Amino acid sequence: MVDFVGKDILRVDAFDKALGSILYGPDQNIEGALWLLAKRSPYPHARILSIDTSQAETIDGVVRIFTAADIPGENSFGIIPVTKDQTLLAKDKVRYIGDAVALVAAYDLKSAKEAVDKIKVNYEELPAIYDPEESLKKGRILIHEKGNLLCSSRIIKGDIEKGFSNADIIIEREYRTSRLEHLSLEPEGGIGYFEDGRIVIIASTQNPHYDRDDVARLLGLSPDKVRVIQCGTGGGFGGKLDISVQGFIGLAVYHLKRAVRMVYSREESFLTTAKRHPLIMRYKTGAKKDGKLTAVKVDIIGDTGAYASYGLAVIMRATVHATGPYEVENVYVDGKMAYTNLPWCGAMRGFGVPQIAFAHESQMDILAHELNIDPIDIRLINAFKKGSVTATGQRLDHSVGIKESLYKIKEIRDKYSWSKKKGERLGTYIGVGVGSMWYGIGNTGVPNPSTAQVELLPDGSAILYTGAAEIGQGSDTILLQIASQRLGIAIDRIKLVRGDTLYTTNAGATSASRQTYISGNAVMDSIDHLEDILKAEASEQMDLPSSELIVKDGKIFSIKDSSKSIDIFELVKICNKNKVRVIGEGRFDPPTIKLDPETGQGVPYATYAFASQVSRVEVDTFTGFIKVLNSASAHDVGKAINPKMVKGQITSGVAMGIGMALMEEFVPNKTKSLKDYYIPTSMDMPEIIPIIVEDKEPTGPFGAKGVGEPALIPTAPAIINGIYDAVGVRITHLPANLERVIGELLKKEGA
Amino acid sequence: MKKFDYLKPTSLDEVFSLMEKFGSNAKLIAGGTDVMVLLKRKRIFPDVLISLRSVPNMAYIKDEKDKIRIGSMTTHRELETSTVIKEKLTALYDAVINLGSVQIRNVATIGGNIANAAPSADTACPLLVLDASCLLISSKGEREVELKDFFIAPGETVMKQDEILKEFIIPKPSKLSGSAYWKLSRRKAMDLPILGVAISLAMNEDKSIKKARIGLGVAAPTPIRAFKAEEFLTGKFLTDEVLAEAGNIASKEASPRDSIRGEAWYRREMIRVLTKRVATISFKRANIV
Ligand SMILES: Cc1cc2nc3c(=O)[nH]c(=O)nc-3n(C[C@H](O)[C@H](O)[C@H](O)COP(=O)(O)OP(=O)(O)OC[C@H]3O[C@@H](n4cnc5c(N)ncnc54)[C@H](O)[C@@H]3O)c2cc1C
Repeated sequence: MVDFVGKDILRVDAFDKALGSILYGPDQNIEGALWLLAKRSPYPHARILSIDTSQAETIDGVVRIFTAADIPGENSFGIIPVTKDQTLLAKDKVRYIGDAVALVAAYDLKSAKEAVDKIKVNYEELPAIYDPEESLKKGRILIHEKGNLLCSSRIIKGDIEKGFSNADIIIEREYRTSRLEHLSLEPEGGIGYFEDGRIVIIASTQNPHYDRDDVARLLGLSPDKVRVIQCGTGGGFGGKLDISVQGFIGLAVYHLKRAVRMVYSREESFLTTAKRHPLIMRYKTGAKKDGKLTAVKVDIIGDTGAYASYGLAVIMRATVHATGPYEVENVYVDGKMAYTNLPWCGAMRGFGVPQIAFAHESQMDILAHELNIDPIDIRLINAFKKGSVTATGQRLDHSVGIKESLYKIKEIRDKYSWSKKKGERLGTYIGVGVGSMWYGIGNTGVPNPSTAQVELLPDGSAILYTGAAEIGQGSDTILLQIASQRLGIAIDRIKLVRGDTLYTTNAGATSASRQTYISGNAVMDSIDHLEDILKAEASEQMDLPSSELIVKDGKIFSIKDSSKSIDIFELVKICNKNKVRVIGEGRFDPPTIKLDPETGQGVPYATYAFASQVSRVEVDTFTGFIKVLNSASAHDVGKAINPKMVKGQITSGVAMGIGMALMEEFVPNKTKSLKDYYIPTSMDMPEIIPIIVEDKEPTGPFGAKGVGEPALIPTAPAIINGIYDAVGVRITHLPANLERVIGELLKKEGA
Repeated sequence: MKKFDYLKPTSLDEVFSLMEKFGSNAKLIAGGTDVMVLLKRKRIFPDVLISLRSVPNMAYIKDEKDKIRIGSMTTHRELETSTVIKEKLTALYDAVINLGSVQIRNVATIGGNIANAAPSADTACPLLVLDASCLLISSKGEREVELKDFFIAPGETVMKQDEILKEFIIPKPSKLSGSAYWKLSRRKAMDLPILGVAISLAMNEDKSIKKARIGLGVAAPTPIRAFKAEEFLTGKFLTDEVLAEAGNIASKEASPRDSIRGEAWYRREMIRVLTKRVATISFKRANIV
């Protein structure tokens, strides 16, 4: 009996990572590869009048300089098919400081840099817009021809006015969040070359099949003429879902048919890759005296910067999740995403939900304080349960572990008697805050299938083929655990072929916490099909109808007479002798129903993850410094395929959430690199208690859902609510940095 | 980054002759944690780096009768793990345990921290309030300069081109005295201070203040002493009102500015509150019963 699911299997890449033998994007190199470097716009908004590359071309070492005119296909890309508005090399206009206008290929980086300096671009500066609300006003200068509104999303349920008239208390507040940088361990990078009539690109990415398709589109090629191989990816967090170096590498290889290399410096990565969307969220929440919510009205305005990227997905997700994991009869949510001339925003761990959770959980906390109800209890009063109906009209029938997560953190809080008190040093106070969240697994109300194949080999081993990018979150290990358990073959007997578009099929993006659930199911499905093939062969060999056969412990048995059996690998040998590969093809697309464009009603996700967190913080009222002392997070993951890795995700989410809550803020034009963008260090970490809740999801592989993004989401709200508990000031603009905390404390003192 | 030669002299005489030979085309390097950053950011373009690492007898902590001498090549890690520093120069101890990270402290030196003359240098304020002097030597001889007269501007000191910083000389703190340093930053490691405040207090038996020293970092173009606030404190008892007033005075003596690291109003406000906090800690450390 093999038993791999639910076990703390060591990550399959642990040794290679520890030994440093995995090559990440910037490590990729080929003898003689040319260096690529982009020339970028110094203006936030300008028309390109002319580009003169003649002087740059005379530099020794420069091989070629490309501009938009060299792009053979569609000079527009973007991950969402209906909003491909980003140019690889700007054609007539630049829309943010950092927009690429030309690409240099040179023998060495020094010549490339020199050439970039020598390229002369003649611009006509245009007025720029930096504020999303300004951007949406009539008569403003247009950033994109179709207008400055990227998209909007609305959710309407019940009768919002009635909901407020039934309320005993109404809380209205505005919340804001900041642009954030993903700050993966390694910046974007990769290589490309020409082989077998194909452009081959090896790069760090979260989505090799999307990369292939959009690069092919840019180059006017059919997708099979481009091969993308995912190399070691030390982190993505959503920042490597968009194309970065891939497009440039593709363009250069297309024209030069020789090996090239491109690596972003950290500064370039800061300047030119996606950021987290800052959202302005205006909340009006109504509740009865007993804490029961009656109405939630939310107005969201997002700033997507210069380009769309994932803006549409972020605003949809933010609106869908705006109530929080609570039953609310009357809901009205309106979300708009506006273009500005600031660095563009895209996916980042949670797609708008970390922002919206900060707002809805602050509202819950205010209600709890106003109504004098324990903050955990007020959540329990409202939390979803089996049978609850969400704001989009979806009935939640299974795997709704939100209450369980609240009980778990309550247990911890009460066991350790975490409560408000004075700190040790003069002027310090300790408080305790709670945050909950829900998170839909997979893309919002659109098909987002995954595919996989499993092949058996005559030597008793197997191969798992998957397009799912491993970005450090652990999908390689998880998918192998699932395959191993389902096949009944030890994990070390299964070889993994992953993230190479030549050998694997599309698994969709490693995003939206979807790979365990969706690709995990695709693996399960492929093994179902594999067994059908085996049974068909066994049926011939054993002279029994397929319907009378079962697969168990590596053998196929007759249901009626268990003495009759045949080893599956014997069957594989027979099939292989007849030149038939024993390979099962699997697919899974979570069942969803597209949201109604007017009312947002529908089934956006097949399943949701739920979580609650309690954090204990110390506020230094002299300096505004916040120290997170302890934190306990309970996550309903359906089933933990690998508990240790789930705990790893939870811990990392708390770490990242501390950054979002307290110090991370990308200020366009000011933030240039690590020296002026603060992320927490190990010294800033609290004690973290990760708790796994398993309310099994019947449609998930072994009951599993997802945890990658949920891990982050409750952290900022728990910390912010903890600050309020400690000192009675409410931070409504993230991050709660020193100046903001002191500013609020001084305001309170003055009042 | 420009190409440069890396020279490793093994005696002070050799250092001096190389310094004479290369003049302003040479740059001294100790731990290199500032120099290498400047080189990579193209802020300096030396032809040669002259390393002090192989020069003997440059790293030491000497606990003498009425002085403590610290060699300029002493690393922050060596200071952090020295009981002399921990027990006698508490403000300096407060500074070195929070400087950079252990990796940085293993290579970075106290001499480099001061010679680099950044307004944010963590050891500057403690050394200022401990009345440290710098011993500067050249082929021609040596001279002692009080640290309060050492800094001229960001990155600029009274050191001449042919001089090197040999050691810090610190009078041993008297009985009934205590010192402390508070580094205000956004996170617990790998971060320069937004503001640094060091205070040393020598007390009279009656708990009045005999001598006060206040050092402020990132509050002006160089690390400074708040002389007026020191004077105000002298002879006073440490009441809440006195401390609040001392904070106000110190805050007015400073000239902080807005930067990406922090805003001026906030720095000014913090000088007020931290003066109070750091003085309170120093007083406690003076151990008067
Ligand atoms: C990641 C990181 C974190 C940091 N964190 C902090 C921090 O928290 N607080 C802080 O204050 N600093 C910090 N620093 C700055 C730096 O580490 C310190 O200033 C350190 O003490 C410099 O010492 P060094 O030996 O590395 O000097 P070097 O870089 O070798 O030299 C610095 C300067 O001093 C000159 N110099 C060195 N020794 C002598 C000498 N004996 N005589 C004359 N001139 C000399 C050099 O010519 C150069 O101009 C940090 C730096 C890094 C890279």
